[in-house]
Amino acid sequence: MPMSWTRILVRRATPYAALASILAVQALARTDAVVAFPLYLAVVLVVSLQQDRAEAFAVAALAAVAVVIPPLATSRGTAEVASAILLAAVLLAVALAVGELMRHARASTIAAQRQADEMLAVDRRLHALLESAQVGLGLADLEGRLTMINDRLAAILSRGREELLGTTVAGLTAEGDRPGVEEGLGLIRSGDIGKWEAMVELVPADGKRVPVGLFLSRIPSTVTGEPAIVVQLTDMTQRRRADSIVECLSTVRQVLVNSATVDIALPPILAALCSRLGWSAAQLWMPDADRSAMRVRTAWNASGPLLDGFLHACRGAAPRKGEALAGRVWKTGAVSAEEDVQGAAHHQLRAAARMAGLQSALAFPIVSAGEVIGVVELLSDSHRTVDDDEVSMLADAGLEIGQFIRRSETASALRRSEADHRAIFERSPIGIARIGGDGELLEANSALLHILEQDEETMRMSGWPDLLRAYDQAAGRQHRAPFLGAIGEASTLQVRAATGAGNWLWLQLTATSIPDATGAPEHILVMVEDVTAVRETSDRLNEALDAQRQANIDLAKLDRTKSEFLSIVSHEFRTALTGIQGFSELIRDGGLEGDEVKAYGGYIFNDAHRVNRLITDMLDLDRMESGRMSMRSGDVDINDVLMEAISRAAPSATSVEFKSDLDPRLPIVVGDRDRLIQVVSNIVNNAVKYSPDGGTVTISSRVEGRFALISVTDTGLGIPPDEIGHVFERFRRVRSGAAQSIPGTGLGLTIVKQIVEMHGGKIWVESAVGHGSSFHFTIPLAPESANALQLRHA
Amino acid sequence: MPEATTGNGSAASKYTVLVADDNEVAQRLCKRVLEKAGYGVLIAGDGLQAVDIALRERPAMILMDVAMPGIDGLEAMKRIKAEVPAMPIVIASAHSMASDRERFLAAGADSVLSKPFRLADLVAMVQTLAGPK
Repeated sequence: MPMSWTRILVRRATPYAALASILAVQALARTDAVVAFPLYLAVVLVVSLQQDRAEAFAVAALAAVAVVIPPLATSRGTAEVASAILLAAVLLAVALAVGELMRHARASTIAAQRQADEMLAVDRRLHALLESAQVGLGLADLEGRLTMINDRLAAILSRGREELLGTTVAGLTAEGDRPGVEEGLGLIRSGDIGKWEAMVELVPADGKRVPVGLFLSRIPSTVTGEPAIVVQLTDMTQRRRADSIVECLSTVRQVLVNSATVDIALPPILAALCSRLGWSAAQLWMPDADRSAMRVRTAWNASGPLLDGFLHACRGAAPRKGEALAGRVWKTGAVSAEEDVQGAAHHQLRAAARMAGLQSALAFPIVSAGEVIGVVELLSDSHRTVDDDEVSMLADAGLEIGQFIRRSETASALRRSEADHRAIFERSPIGIARIGGDGELLEANSALLHILEQDEETMRMSGWPDLLRAYDQAAGRQHRAPFLGAIGEASTLQVRAATGAGNWLWLQLTATSIPDATGAPEHILVMVEDVTAVRETSDRLNEALDAQRQANIDLAKLDRTKSEFLSIVSHEFRTALTGIQGFSELIRDGGLEGDEVKAYGGYIFNDAHRVNRLITDMLDLDRMESGRMSMRSGDVDINDVLMEAISRAAPSATSVEFKSDLDPRLPIVVGDRDRLIQVVSNIVNNAVKYSPDGGTVTISSRVEGRFALISVTDTGLGIPPDEIGHVFERFRRVRSGAAQSIPGTGLGLTIVKQIVEMHGGKIWVESAVGHGSSFHFTIPLAPESANALQLRHA
Repeated sequence: MPEATTGNGSAASKYTVLVADDNEVAQRLCKRVLEKAGYGVLIAGDGLQAVDIALRERPAMILMDVAMPGIDGLEAMKRIKAEVPAMPIVIASAHSMASDRERFLAAGADSVLSKPFRLADLVAMVQTLAGPK
């Protein structure tokens, strides 16, 4: 105990002062030591009781000296001195004994004090422990009435301590849980069990329910009291909330896994956010296409119609980056809460927010590849605090939704691409086939089946292999790689192929190799186009060009031939006219004999006739070549025609001998008798003309298949090899050697050939210079004649 | 009527004309007209004959057709002129285009007579080249 120095001095000095006073009084009074002794004893006792041992001994020693000193100083008797010494010894013994007693007494007092202090400390610690416990703790009697509670328990139940004391545990429990709790208490009361626990809901003062873990345990009776029950309450609100948050994230993940698109996934996700986290409404904002502002993509309203109005107003709003809660989260990319929702709502929404009674809002970003692609805004019509767990869960959810959107966009892009390709494949007017590595048909589109007029099965089995063979043949002709050999490079080839209906088409095949992920050819796409019309047009064009080219050549040739023709014709005409003009001039001038006039008239007539024939031939040929000549067809006996021609030629051909070798069974033909006579006469006349030295002309007829074959063979000059190919051309006359002087129009054989061909026959010639020529021609037999002949021959 | 003579016959050939033509009608016409005009007429039916007679008989002039068997009139003319350059030769042809005329003159013809011809033109040409009778 703190004491001032003066008080310590007074206290310590006082016994010495008392001793000195006693000594002084004894000395003055000259009393015996025995008289003063009790006084000394009293001082020593007081000091021994009050002061420590050293002090007590010092005082006792001084008192002993004071008792001894007077007898010694007054030289009293030895007895007196001896008793004084005895008394001094008594004083010392008292001080010693009392000091010892006091020491014991003090030690036991200190021990008791320490024990009490320790008990107090334990009590304090226990109390502190009780109060600091995060669980609610209390003590109840066996009836369940609370006799002691800590603050936490009071806080959980939102009630004051005094109010709670005396209340039963069962009475605080929500009605549904009450029977359970009462049963638990009963069991503990009866001593059947020592501990009981359950999850129950308590009903605090504010009427809300608080989930708690309730733990009851029985404390056995002690000397000081009855058995009691320890009541332990654990507030599960936080844990419930943490569980909700975890469950919310897991629901979000589950929805994402099971949804195909963001529009399918978002409504249930927004619903889960509302129900699990206790928000009234949620909406997803996404940037416009030009990313200038955000608009509501989808919304979920978990509460009443009041929020409907606000959500509807949001649909018309378009906050820019940084504007309002959604715009701010868009800008910062961080979860953000709004304390003063009504004040801070986007200016377009402020009135609606007030009307809806919005109190709290929280928004989190949907992030994909580090970019905010959307913002989910959570709205509540009550004041609501937001903890870190919720914020971090929402941030996670935002990332996962972002990843999902990215995945689903990629997937839907793939789906679109796949759908596009499928549509192109199916709807293309060009035939497309997918071909495997061995050239087998994997798939054919409808256009290909349509072009090739085949069903898919036939196409696979035969149509496609046929087409490949056609391709390879065409490739072979063009010295190109076969179909499978050309894979890897885009190759185009036109092939001729028959359709299932037997129509022949020109097909253009374009093959493209489609590689797999490793770059190896995975399959081949073959595009098949029907280019028949193009090809035929180009073929016709080429034909026309060829014809035109040939026509130009022919025209040039014709030009030359025409000049030559004009030269020949004019020469022939003028030669004939020389006689006509000269002799008619002679006749005109008169003075001629009668015989002369007659002879000259004959010359004139012959030449005039010759001119006429030339003109007739030219006109005939012109008509035949231009197709304007008509035939008078009828049944013709070829042998009769041949005999007629010989009889006409013979009189003017005295130098040659005619022989005939006619098949008497030769059937009739259908033809123009006069024209056929013209043909034979012409050939016979030629035979005569080109046999200037005489010889034999042999005429024969026989059946050759369905034709009558007529041959006229002479033993005349023959035709030189370089001219034999041209004898049927107009104005071509053999004019070499001895044949030069043989007259002719140069049109005879041309006319002959025309007539034969008009009858459907052929004409040709064999010849050897110096040995003669053989002209052969055929005329088709009348159909019934041919049949009859076949029957006869059968 | 003078006759064609053999041997040197320069006198006999002075008024003799060789007609070389493969056309009998033309031969007869020329013979009739020229004999009427007082000339002797020799006839050749083809080119080789014409050369042969011309070199042997040395007529005063030759009336030569072109289109004849064997060698044609132009070839015959070339051969005759090679032997007797001064021999007057008239090409009488039914090839009577302008280009033909140029062709014949270039080949060495003294004159060209186109068929058909007026009888007076024939006589005048012969008189010019063989001398008037």
